[in-house]
Amino acid sequence: MIITKSWLNEWIDIKGKSGAELCKTFNSIGLEVDRHEVYSVPKKIVIGKVLECEEHPDADKLNVCKVDIGTSVRQIVCGASNVRADIYVAVATIGAVMPGGLKIKPVELRGIESVGMICSSTELGLPKLEDGIMVLDESIGSLKLGSELSQNPYFNDDLIELELTANRGDCLSINGVARDLSAAFDIEIKERPKAQIEEKQVGIGRILHLNHSKNADVDLMYKALKKSDFTLPLLLRLRLSMVEEVCQSAIDALLFYATYSSGVILRAYGYSAFPIEQEKAQITLAQDEDDYAVVQGLEKASTVGIVQYDSSRVTDEDEIMIIEASYIQPDVISRKMAEKKIENGPLFYRTSRGSEPDLDFGLEYCQELFNTYAQTEIYGGTLELRSSYEEKVLHMSIKDINNIIGMDVDKTYITQLLKNLGFGVLKSQTGQIVISVPQFRHDVSHDQDIVEEIVRLIGIDNIPSQAYSFTEKVHKNDASVFFAKRKHYRQRAADCGFFESVQFVFNERAVLQEFDFPLVEEKLDLLNPIAGTLDTLRSTLLLGLVEASSANTKVGRKQVKLFEVGSVFDAQRNESIKMAFSFSGADSVEGVRNNGKPNAIGFEKFVQIISNVIGDFELREVELSHGLAHPYQSAEMLVKGEVIGSLFKLHPSVAKKYDLESTYLCELDFDTLKFTLDVFSSFSKFQASYRDLSVVIPKSLKYADLKDVITQVQSAEVIRFYPVDTYESEELGDNMSLTLRFMLQSEEKTLEEEDITSSMDTILSALNKELGIALR
Amino acid sequence: MTEWIEKIDSCDSTAAIEEIRIAVFGKKGVLAKAFAEMKSAPNEEKAKIAKELNEMKAKLNSALNEKKVILETQALKEAMKAEGIDVSLFSPLCERGATHPVMDTMDRVIEYFTNLNFSVETGPMVEDDFHNFEALNLPKYHPARDMQDTFYFKDETLLRTHTSPVQIRTMMNTQPPIRMIAPGSVFRRDFDITHTPMFHQIEGLLVDDKGKVSFANLKCILEGFLHYMFGDVEVRFRPSFFPFTEPSAEVDISCIFCKGDGCRVCSKTGWLEVLGCRIVDPNVFKAVGYKEVSGYAFGLGIERFAMLIHQIPDLRSLFEGDVRLLEQFR
Ligand SMILES: [Zn+2]
Repeated sequence: MIITKSWLNEWIDIKGKSGAELCKTFNSIGLEVDRHEVYSVPKKIVIGKVLECEEHPDADKLNVCKVDIGTSVRQIVCGASNVRADIYVAVATIGAVMPGGLKIKPVELRGIESVGMICSSTELGLPKLEDGIMVLDESIGSLKLGSELSQNPYFNDDLIELELTANRGDCLSINGVARDLSAAFDIEIKERPKAQIEEKQVGIGRILHLNHSKNADVDLMYKALKKSDFTLPLLLRLRLSMVEEVCQSAIDALLFYATYSSGVILRAYGYSAFPIEQEKAQITLAQDEDDYAVVQGLEKASTVGIVQYDSSRVTDEDEIMIIEASYIQPDVISRKMAEKKIENGPLFYRTSRGSEPDLDFGLEYCQELFNTYAQTEIYGGTLELRSSYEEKVLHMSIKDINNIIGMDVDKTYITQLLKNLGFGVLKSQTGQIVISVPQFRHDVSHDQDIVEEIVRLIGIDNIPSQAYSFTEKVHKNDASVFFAKRKHYRQRAADCGFFESVQFVFNERAVLQEFDFPLVEEKLDLLNPIAGTLDTLRSTLLLGLVEASSANTKVGRKQVKLFEVGSVFDAQRNESIKMAFSFSGADSVEGVRNNGKPNAIGFEKFVQIISNVIGDFELREVELSHGLAHPYQSAEMLVKGEVIGSLFKLHPSVAKKYDLESTYLCELDFDTLKFTLDVFSSFSKFQASYRDLSVVIPKSLKYADLKDVITQVQSAEVIRFYPVDTYESEELGDNMSLTLRFMLQSEEKTLEEEDITSSMDTILSALNKELGIALR
Repeated sequence: MTEWIEKIDSCDSTAAIEEIRIAVFGKKGVLAKAFAEMKSAPNEEKAKIAKELNEMKAKLNSALNEKKVILETQALKEAMKAEGIDVSLFSPLCERGATHPVMDTMDRVIEYFTNLNFSVETGPMVEDDFHNFEALNLPKYHPARDMQDTFYFKDETLLRTHTSPVQIRTMMNTQPPIRMIAPGSVFRRDFDITHTPMFHQIEGLLVDDKGKVSFANLKCILEGFLHYMFGDVEVRFRPSFFPFTEPSAEVDISCIFCKGDGCRVCSKTGWLEVLGCRIVDPNVFKAVGYKEVSGYAFGLGIERFAMLIHQIPDLRSLFEGDVRLLEQFR
């Protein structure tokens, strides 16, 4: 909503307030200022009158004018096509500096002296109003020759653009903004002088008839006017251009101006758009097939609150025009639009947010404009149709109001403030207040809405803060534990060199499909994705990490270590949290220590670093269901026999596709990660012994199988065991030698040689029995 | 004998010293030889020779030892010099990674409010119309409910456009008093310089018996919070009343870049808008079945906070996993 100070001043006396003061007040009462500009015409631009205008003897397009500027008559050469005798113009006199920097001085144009310049609106730094020079008229006040234009309030104005929330339709007019300011400044709205308009003897009832069935949910009011030709006065053109409105005709422009000023929805129909019966044009209010209220003429003339159809506009042939003021409750029109969308225009913006319901006021203002600027003849009286409106009345206690705000505000203050905002305050008991809500404040329906009105006009900054005293409650829950756990693992990942990535939860369905990841069922998928590459919910964090690794590699990064903790969705769209890691490129930072040639990341190092982040786990060979994994370097990760995730080398062909070097990935179920405090378990005070065992095993035997056998028979003294060496040779053929190191320790004593041998023998005989393998 | 002193002096290695020691003190050394010769000297001279020899022996011994210490010290010095490295080659090469500034900011906000004994609540990202809109006083035909802005699924569910549905779910599951925050990802169908289709929000809610909690209380909590997040800033409240999804008030802090003088970041206003707050609409309480209560809510965008605190210029860069950005936060 754009307003100018001079325009607002027609409705409320704010002459004494500066533009900055207005902006500050608007902001503090919740009408946010988006833009504030000051328009000012330079000094030494004066009002002049063209006395004579003749063609330049030596130039086609130039005219030589004699211009009266009060103190003297100047000769000015002017190139504008609309210059002529007897018009009032803005004259830049010698010494004036134009907004573009041009300094006016006497010049000779094709041999004729020119002393000054007749200005166009753009030359004065104003919006473009017409082709050629700006012709002045009395809409800007009396045209005293020689008077400075910069002294005229309309040419020295503040333009303020307000950003309104959708509930404040009441402020979509100059009148409405003035009303809010009136409460803020405690200045009354100007009384509009009752215009002395002489109406024709003939009443509107003689030429017009309004037909309607049953109770309508719209308000309509009509006035009939004799059509007259007129040009829009300068002031109105200036203002309309400031609010960036372009109108097709002078009638449209005048109506728009009336609506913009008063807030009432106004339109003009041509008399010939309606059928004539018994010498009266028949206007019919009906419901159309979509259940919208429509005004019916020979054809559909308009849909109330939404659009007027071209066939009902005033034509050149029309001698009479019918002005209609209308109101429809915003929730009625919004609900209809939600149920049955039809094409709408700028009008809907106003009506759905709430236009001014006082139709009398709007029509009166409109006819005043026509009378002033178009000298239109007006038929007596009006035709009208009213919907039923139930007045909202709120009963509140002052104590409740003060409790919600948290400070004491007295009743007299509240009463005055609400009255200025247009609310009715009815007689009430001490400590109580009874408020009637005006129809234009359809957004106010609860006590709390009234409190908000009071709060914004007091200014929140004027409410002192108060500490909140509350009842203690235990607030630890699953969610707080989740965030603490997430923080813990994120920091561990960062400590181990990974960078945290945050990706959108969207993936491209075709890509998920290409790599055999689960897909959200078609019928549960996104209806209106924002882009083809983000057209479904992700079922894995891995693709995002691969893409991010690729992007980092492409900008020259030699090592990319990323992780993410985030949501993924299964086919039924159930959400779960995963943690994933990617490690791509060099296994360490290049430097002197590795002669600038670090190794590529390998399986072993990747496993090592992942276990630094999440703790110990075991690996089991697995065939993964998706296509990102290298088939011979994939593993399930287990903790205490439970699968927590998987890790693998990126499939070479995928790596190639994404321009990646050696890359390893891991994805875990975040829920399965441990987040409990560790518990002490006792340890032996006696010395530990180590024994190595070298066995010959078939190359095809998996270590995991061998491990299972040992685990089942190992004695309590075997604390742990682990492979330390493998050896292959021609002589061994399809077999290989594997050395295991056992750590043995007793709770009760230092182990003797025979204890150790006995433990080892048990293991060896089990290996022999179960797998047929023996010592080397 | 004095020539030996000179020899010791001119020695340049511990090995040479050892050779001299053997040549002088060894069983076949010059001293042994001299003592042997002394035996054949006339008796009256023996005492004198013995005295001279012993003095010489002591002199040689101390000369040897001194020289040895000097040479050993020198040898150690040289050995250490040989071990010398160019330390500047090894300026620290941090191999730590980093957590994401958005997640860090979220954690900081959570920490502040959990310290005030707010509960942390979460809810699903895939929501229904009731929890995301209707219960929040945003009926289907409301102008604020821009259909274009919401991601819908084919079964009429949607991706939550704010974390407010978590407040509804929490209110429906518990009874007042409530002090909670709801952090999480939210979604709007918008993608340009200042919008991403997913971003993060934290919303807070206070509900207590009528009269026990006021707007003045909310103001106090938010002022404390903003001072915690941004340090010594001024806080300003601007009213902007509108049903649930829009705040009743927008809260500004004095610009942390120009200290209020006006700069590019604050669009020359000296103020930065950082959060919104509101009095909870009675229709919301009606939807969850609460009576005789007052409630206040607030909400903020994590990305906006992170960008201000860390002075990150581009919103979209936060979602690109770009290590050039992330490594600045380790
Ligand atoms: Zn600034």
